[in-house]
Amino acid sequence: MNRSLAKSFGFTLPWSLTFLFIWLFPLGYAFVMGLTDFNLLRPDETNWVGFENYRALFSDEDFIKSLKNTFIFVIGTIPITTVIALALALFVNRTFKGRALFRSACFLPSITSMVVIALIFTNLYQRGGYIAGLCSLIGLTPPLHGFLFDRATALYSIMAMDVWMSVGYYMLIFLAGLKSIPDELYEAADVNGAGFFRKLFSITLPLLKPVALFILVINTIKSFQVFVEIFVMTQGKFDTSTMVYFIYEIGLTTTLQSGYASAAAYILFGIITLFSLVQFALLRRRQPLW
Amino acid sequence: MVKSILKLSKYVLLSLVLFIMIFPLAWMFRVSLMKMGSSISIENLLASGITFEAYAQLFAGTNTLMYFFNSAFVGITVTIGNILFCFMVAYALARYKNLTNKLLFASVVIVLMIPAHILIVPLYLFTLKVGIYDTYWSLILPWMVQPIGIFLVKQYIENIPPSMEEAARIDGAGEFRILFQVVMPMCKPALAVLAIQVFFTNWNSFLFPYILTNSDSLKTLPVGLAHLQGFQAIDWQQLMAGSAVAVLPVLILFLIMQKQIVSGITAGAIKQ
Repeated sequence: MNRSLAKSFGFTLPWSLTFLFIWLFPLGYAFVMGLTDFNLLRPDETNWVGFENYRALFSDEDFIKSLKNTFIFVIGTIPITTVIALALALFVNRTFKGRALFRSACFLPSITSMVVIALIFTNLYQRGGYIAGLCSLIGLTPPLHGFLFDRATALYSIMAMDVWMSVGYYMLIFLAGLKSIPDELYEAADVNGAGFFRKLFSITLPLLKPVALFILVINTIKSFQVFVEIFVMTQGKFDTSTMVYFIYEIGLTTTLQSGYASAAAYILFGIITLFSLVQFALLRRRQPLW
Repeated sequence: MVKSILKLSKYVLLSLVLFIMIFPLAWMFRVSLMKMGSSISIENLLASGITFEAYAQLFAGTNTLMYFFNSAFVGITVTIGNILFCFMVAYALARYKNLTNKLLFASVVIVLMIPAHILIVPLYLFTLKVGIYDTYWSLILPWMVQPIGIFLVKQYIENIPPSMEEAARIDGAGEFRILFQVVMPMCKPALAVLAIQVFFTNWNSFLFPYILTNSDSLKTLPVGLAHLQGFQAIDWQQLMAGSAVAVLPVLILFLIMQKQIVSGITAGAIKQ
């Protein structure tokens, strides 16, 4: 018995160490740091400030703005991504010529580096660029200095790119969900003379509920952490700074206020945890949601 | 009549979506093959010829080859590490059900839900403190055992009956031999999924490699590309050539083994 305990301890050691040093310790360290005025410029003069950082954050205009932008990003992209992904999945779920090509094409952005995608779209969005040309073609006036250099369009342009890059991934998850619905249900519906929409609302959507909610959970966790596209495309300028960008900027570049940044990180952590818990509660619910 | 119009509009819609999905990457390749410094307008894109000038300049004038090597080296090392370590840990968690292991598995599930980006400041300070900041170690060590891998492989092992291991044990095989010669070959499908997931994530990751290194000689491709963009002198042809260099390996892998890659990248999502 003792020998097997020793073996199991030895085998799990890589994870125990990783968990302790890469996750648990930094998490605890960040929390403690968030209660101090720790600054990388003067690490020796650190004072205990309690929850002062948290109070200060909520009266910090830059932080509030990053909070607002993050919520706009999350609330703006997730429903659109989910609906388009579902529509594409329903479309691809039947056989037609070129189906395999279509599926692969939709998945292509998922294997491409975010930095590369952000660079390509920086080019497409630029002043006099391709998308500006398309806008003029249909009679819209593109922003004077390009889509990313305008407060009114920068964040939304990045969001549109994000929808473009994620729909294929979620489409494939929806497809897996569609495959798990037994054909007999549709056959029975056909026998009873149900039409396309009746089948959609009475069979497909109710049975896809767990998959849809699951997609919401992972997409929420991911979208609240949006950073790379902001970093590459606008450097947080033109009203595009998000929470992770704020944490990065304050904590590691401009003022090096690590304590302050850690408190902001914990607020983000709290928000994401709250959202995930609510979604999990919905996921567990037995009663139909719709 | 109505049916054929419906069918036609379906194909028009499909082609439109197909175009939107493929267009940006096609644009990248096309721009990368233009003469450097030429203006990027539609007429120019269609009319101008193909030249590899931007690629030649990229490899001659920047450290892109080095970035490429770093991405490959770190990606392969981390992938091998995950195959070995996730497998070991998953095996123990699946076969030895004691209290510690239950707690450890709980930690795996909890970490799966933690948004990693909130750790940028403490992890940066930690690597600085232990002296691995700006070394290959900082690119490799934190990601050698990833919770998603442990999770996937553990589920898989639990579905394999332990009879083979018991038979090997009766035959007097040692624990490591059982682990790597009996159980591991049976886990190939799960380990393939794990390898694909880890390699692609690592190849494309930006934030942690960016904040945990500083020297040019340690930059991975995404970090190097973001760095190239910062230079005013770098033009779009070269930037798109660099992007193409970052995309091509994964694109080729994708074309060769599409099925495995699609299931590998989405598996983490579905299995949870």
